[in-house]
Amino acid sequence: MKHRSIISRPVAGPTLAAMVLAIAGEVVATRAAESPSWNADVAPLLKRHCVKCHGPAKAESRLDLATASGLLRGGEHGSVVAPHDPDSSRLWLRVRENEMPPDEPLGAAERDLLRRWISEGAPGMQQAGTSGEHWAFQALDAPRRGPRYSPSDSTSQVPPSVFSAFRDPLDESIASRLRERGLVLAEPASEQTLTRRLSLNLLGIPPPLDEVEVDEVGQIPDGSERQVDRFLASPRYGERWGKYWLDAAGYSDSNGYFNADSDRPLAYRYRDYVIRSWNRDLGFDEFVRQQLAGDEIAGFVPGGEATPESIELLEATHYLRNGQDGSGESDGNPDEVRIDRYTALESSMQIVASSLLGLTIQCAKCHDHKFEPITQREYYQFQSILYPVFNIEQWQKPNDRFVLAPLAGQREEWQGRVDALSELARTKQSELTAWVRANRPRGESLFEATFDVADERLAEHWSNTAPGDDTPGGTPAVQLDVDARPGARIVDGQLWIMESGAAGDRWLCTRQSFDWTPARKDDVVEVTFDLIADTLPGGGTPAARIGYLIAAGDFHDQRDRPGGNILIDGNPGGSTAVHLDYPGADARSVGEIGAAGYRSGRNYGLRITNLGDDKFRLEHLVDGMVDGKNMTLSSADLPDGAFAWEYCCDRSFVIDNLRIELLPGRAATEAEPDEFIRELKAMREATDRIVQERDALTRNPPGKIYWASDMHPEPPTVHWLERGNYAARKDPVEPMMPAALSDFTRPFTVAVRGPETRTSLRRLALADWMTATGSKAASLLARVQVNRIWQYHFGEGLVATADNLGLSGAPPTHPELLDRLAAQLQSDQWSVKRLQRRIVLSATYRQSSAADRLSLERDPDGRLLSRFPLHRLDAESIRDALLAASGELDTRMFGSYVPTSRDAAGEVVVPENATGARRRSIYLYQRRTQVLSLLAIFDAPSLVFNSVSRPRSTMPLQALSLLNAEFVANRARALAVDLTTPNPLESASERPVDDPQRIAIAYRRTLGRPPRTEELDAARLFLREQAGYYPESSTGVVQALADLCQSLMASNEFLYVE
Amino acid sequence: MGGVPFPVDMLARRVFLRGMAGSLGSMAVSHLLRQQGTARGDEPVGNASPTPGASFGRAKSVICLFQHGGPSQMDLFDPKPLLTRYDGQPYPGGDLEAHFDQQKGNCLGSPYKFAKYGGCGMDLCELLPHTGAIADEICLVRSMKTESVDHEAALRLIHTGKFLAGMPVWGSWVLYALGSENENLPAYVVLSDPGGLPVDGERNWSSGWLPAQFQGTTFRSGANPVLNLTTPSGISGAARRRQLDFLKQINTGHLNRHPHSSELAARLTQFETAARMQTAVPEVLDLSSETESTRKLYGLDEPATQEYGTRCLLARRLVERGVRFVQLYLSGQPWDTHSKNAESLKGLCRRTDQSSAALVRDLKQRGLLDSTIVIWTGEFGRLPISQGKDGRDHNRHGFSLWLAGGGFRRGHVHGATDEFGYAATQDIVNVHDLHATLLHALGLDHRRLTLPHDGREASLTDVDVTGAQRVDALLG
Repeated sequence: MKHRSIISRPVAGPTLAAMVLAIAGEVVATRAAESPSWNADVAPLLKRHCVKCHGPAKAESRLDLATASGLLRGGEHGSVVAPHDPDSSRLWLRVRENEMPPDEPLGAAERDLLRRWISEGAPGMQQAGTSGEHWAFQALDAPRRGPRYSPSDSTSQVPPSVFSAFRDPLDESIASRLRERGLVLAEPASEQTLTRRLSLNLLGIPPPLDEVEVDEVGQIPDGSERQVDRFLASPRYGERWGKYWLDAAGYSDSNGYFNADSDRPLAYRYRDYVIRSWNRDLGFDEFVRQQLAGDEIAGFVPGGEATPESIELLEATHYLRNGQDGSGESDGNPDEVRIDRYTALESSMQIVASSLLGLTIQCAKCHDHKFEPITQREYYQFQSILYPVFNIEQWQKPNDRFVLAPLAGQREEWQGRVDALSELARTKQSELTAWVRANRPRGESLFEATFDVADERLAEHWSNTAPGDDTPGGTPAVQLDVDARPGARIVDGQLWIMESGAAGDRWLCTRQSFDWTPARKDDVVEVTFDLIADTLPGGGTPAARIGYLIAAGDFHDQRDRPGGNILIDGNPGGSTAVHLDYPGADARSVGEIGAAGYRSGRNYGLRITNLGDDKFRLEHLVDGMVDGKNMTLSSADLPDGAFAWEYCCDRSFVIDNLRIELLPGRAATEAEPDEFIRELKAMREATDRIVQERDALTRNPPGKIYWASDMHPEPPTVHWLERGNYAARKDPVEPMMPAALSDFTRPFTVAVRGPETRTSLRRLALADWMTATGSKAASLLARVQVNRIWQYHFGEGLVATADNLGLSGAPPTHPELLDRLAAQLQSDQWSVKRLQRRIVLSATYRQSSAADRLSLERDPDGRLLSRFPLHRLDAESIRDALLAASGELDTRMFGSYVPTSRDAAGEVVVPENATGARRRSIYLYQRRTQVLSLLAIFDAPSLVFNSVSRPRSTMPLQALSLLNAEFVANRARALAVDLTTPNPLESASERPVDDPQRIAIAYRRTLGRPPRTEELDAARLFLREQAGYYPESSTGVVQALADLCQSLMASNEFLYVE
Repeated sequence: MGGVPFPVDMLARRVFLRGMAGSLGSMAVSHLLRQQGTARGDEPVGNASPTPGASFGRAKSVICLFQHGGPSQMDLFDPKPLLTRYDGQPYPGGDLEAHFDQQKGNCLGSPYKFAKYGGCGMDLCELLPHTGAIADEICLVRSMKTESVDHEAALRLIHTGKFLAGMPVWGSWVLYALGSENENLPAYVVLSDPGGLPVDGERNWSSGWLPAQFQGTTFRSGANPVLNLTTPSGISGAARRRQLDFLKQINTGHLNRHPHSSELAARLTQFETAARMQTAVPEVLDLSSETESTRKLYGLDEPATQEYGTRCLLARRLVERGVRFVQLYLSGQPWDTHSKNAESLKGLCRRTDQSSAALVRDLKQRGLLDSTIVIWTGEFGRLPISQGKDGRDHNRHGFSLWLAGGGFRRGHVHGATDEFGYAATQDIVNVHDLHATLLHALGLDHRRLTLPHDGREASLTDVDVTGAQRVDALLG
């Protein structure tokens, strides 16, 4: 048992006690029987004379005299009642001077009543003003604004003479509760312990070696305020504390909901925004405002240019869309689709309520909340604030919900690159096509149409009537060589197919019939054409299909002709459908050929090869090369017939150079590609690469942000739903926040929209309402945040239920402390770093985690903080600490996530050789259904809504992974290799296997301290013996060291914060 | 070792309870106390006025044979002669809710014959002769109902009682309440299909927001059945032993500096437990000690039944060794017969019928059936009308499942659907009622098995919202 220092444990004197009372603001008034009563006398008086102007409706001077709490809070000029002192009470002075009420002064009896009530201490005001309200819903005194946190500001908040060993007033709050149980704060932890605690707590990794080293030589002074400031300024800080916020905000890189759990490829921009904001200590109020209404604050108009500032604001709004959203995959009936959409909206609501207000609201979806003062109507009023973002009737799927916010010049720069690539692609393609035309093997031409002959008329070679028909096909039929609704015509040496009506299929047929079944085995018939454009010059919709027929016989399907009329339905998206006996009732789809899509500038066509045995292979040709799948037909499928263009319904396009050729024996050369094919292949690959590059760039215009914003400028009408039934719409509701959280003086008010306003401004109103310093909502917001911060410093919050500060939540262990810190957070301009600095420099935080008998007996679970609560690192910290200890931590920040994958054994891992495999856990793929196995086993959540506290389980599978997981073994090995890598300054002499120096470094790197003597002895013995198990002496040393390092990494001391 | 409470586990659980939330501790202690009690089923959790019934708390473990995709009730369990008469004609019963409501066809009768099985005369399809042979052991529920015709949502409903992903599954709740009886094996084991994960993957056995220790642990086929179970190659047993000793030395030193922490003590001993698990898991997976007749019973000698049968046999070996909860899954969603419904059922029944029934028989002959609940179910049923030419679409209004052992009634048919098999009409059991009943059979009161989460008392059945009711008629 260690000796306790008396000096560090002062007994509070009277001065202290008085201060505590003042801090706690507990003014206790005694109430005499004959005194005027608040309820019976004063409240009615104020109601009669004052409330018309100073009440819920008007609240002039921001003063609400309708309730005791309003009176207690005062107005814009401050408090209006000073108990026991009428002459300092603004309320009385204005009445005494007959300034108030303005038109009808109070009578003498009423004046006397009011004065006496104040003289006697305003009995009932305090109690009535606070008792009726849940503690967490009460407004905190509107605090004065203090200075922001800055690292240079290292002045202690309290003169040491007053508090002696107490370093912050918060210590007195903790100590006074302990005193009630006859307990005191534990003695301070050692500097080493503190350094490790601070580092793991503030940065999420063990202390950098230099912090430990400096410590050892004793250069860091007690208190190490500079160390705290160094940690708070580290970029690692935002990665640690930003992650806590991301959990609260429900951040994930996937959409969840369905099995697909599809990707959110740009969600990382929000993650990076959060890390940056925490690192620069953006005021928490502003942080919240940006996330709720960044788009409305920025006033960004899509299509315009953005600034770095407005980009941050737009990125912040991703907060609202962190919930699960399966609407991108919805494929059910309309009721299911509606459920899927509402789920996204409701998830967003729940995340806002949970992460900002510490409230559960979902119960109020179907009925008034049973525990919290939230009515069903209020639930839908709240819903109407977020509804414009998730407008069920004008839905956008998650991956379509983005905005382009490029910086000045970015769009032009991007367009320039796209244009240049497009131009290059066009050039390459026309070179290719020209080359193919010049060099392709020629067969016997059966038909050729170049449409180049001057004054050529279509009717000479083409017809609108199929060879087997008497009348033209289609309604109306294709008009040849006429100007009115022509259907098809030759223009500038090319054939224009002009869709001119939606009804009926129409053909433009060759007058000539062809034999589509080449006579001998390996003989080939090819039909090819250049697709010049998939739209007509001058615009129009790109053709949905490029359709053509072979073996075309009779449009009207009157003759009993099996097979023929083979429609080749070329799809711009890829794969070409083949239909036999088209059109008519007996038309049947026989599958698909090819793979490539129909794109302007390429040469397409078919090849029919005689395979013998009445089999004919039908292949798709692109630029003279066989493409994708083929199919086999019989001669019955391929009767003699015309070639035809089929068109209707969005099928306007331009073609040229139609050729039908017979190539005897051509197929025989296919097995060994000839010069032509080889060269063609190379040229085409080069062209394809450029096209792919162009397409990829086109899909990624600059400034793409997954944002949340109103879908439509006109605010939608939102109804409340009876029993939460989506089909049971009732009255419309107006946007509003629950009355229990609202002050009359700072109401929820939606600004009037101007003609240019493109959003409802409802979320801006919400942001203003929630962050109006000193209001009920802001006070709750501050309490929720302080409690969460406290929880992540001490393992548990002042309110144990961090997800619930409502009536059904746990009561705070130290209510006055929570309120004071929440008030301070507001007066410190919502600087969280300042709050944290206050906490980690307190004696409470810096006490030892060793427990004595009394502390264990009277504070068994440590909730009263009679010692620093020992707690296990969370999952991410375990992984990050392993990487930091091994010296491998890759500290690159930001950007797209590092992918994870499921290996053959079913473990979710980042492959060791993958780029970014050693980056911090926050940068790994946060996929809901694919949590990294190592993290999942240490309780990393798969998010439903959000997570504001983690369970901490202890199970054998954790031991198995610490012992056998490849990831852990590799970290141990890396550290061992590091330890044995010779320092060039050292002598080259071989060091012994049990070298104490290496052991000492291993201890410092993993546990942040040197080994004790007995530990050193044990470690040396272990190394000597362990090396004996590895016969290869050259590697035995490293392996034994790796086993030592792994043992340290798997040890409780490594896994726990003391 | 069965039945003996493990102090280490208890310690760890207590610590977890404290780690969660303040109000949780006292709450959960009642479960722990219940587990520590020597007599099982003496009193429901925290229930002042128990209504036990003969079967209350008889079950100690659960084996769930999960049939992903929605088995077709009118082709397997629920004969509908009228539907057969209407085959090919428009459905006369008005509008039907379908998943793909553009593809609704006419009535589709079952091409299969039904016959009466067992002394109880249970009507079952000819594709299920082995299930027929255990008809007198099973409780067939024909009046099941769920709340979604979407696979994922329905899977979550039957596994967690909730629509949304990420909630604890019922196996996790059971484990949380009852703990483990053999700390050398995971208490909740998933025997997944070597062919791949089922639809919705690991979510089907996720502990959701409950700690990871209540998660199902997957046993895979192959050399490494449990993640990180085997010591890496190159490390000899002796070297590992020495390393574990050294680790224990470090941890003991640390524990001496924090003698009050039961959590540290628990973690220290878990390295030893893990080492024992390294032998216990291969032992349970080794079927060489099973007799020829047992292997034949499960169909291990037939290619069609060998794979599924092996897993059924493993399930028995696991509960035999005190594993609390075992789930079998099929890869993908094979029962999702949107096309070629009748044709597909042949193969599926061939694959699963014999071994599912064998499991029940084997448990019975070993005296384990009384303490083991076997449940055979999918996530929903199928429609009496066709989808396309020969398929059936999803149906949430009626489906069938069967239960055996653990205090459930034997040779009993519960409830009925309408004459076409579309909707449960008589003695309806929804998934929440099913959960309440299953928990009851395990000696747990669904209204009391709660935990504070998201600001409210969360539970499997969420009785305030779902109105879940125990169905005593299912229990013998």
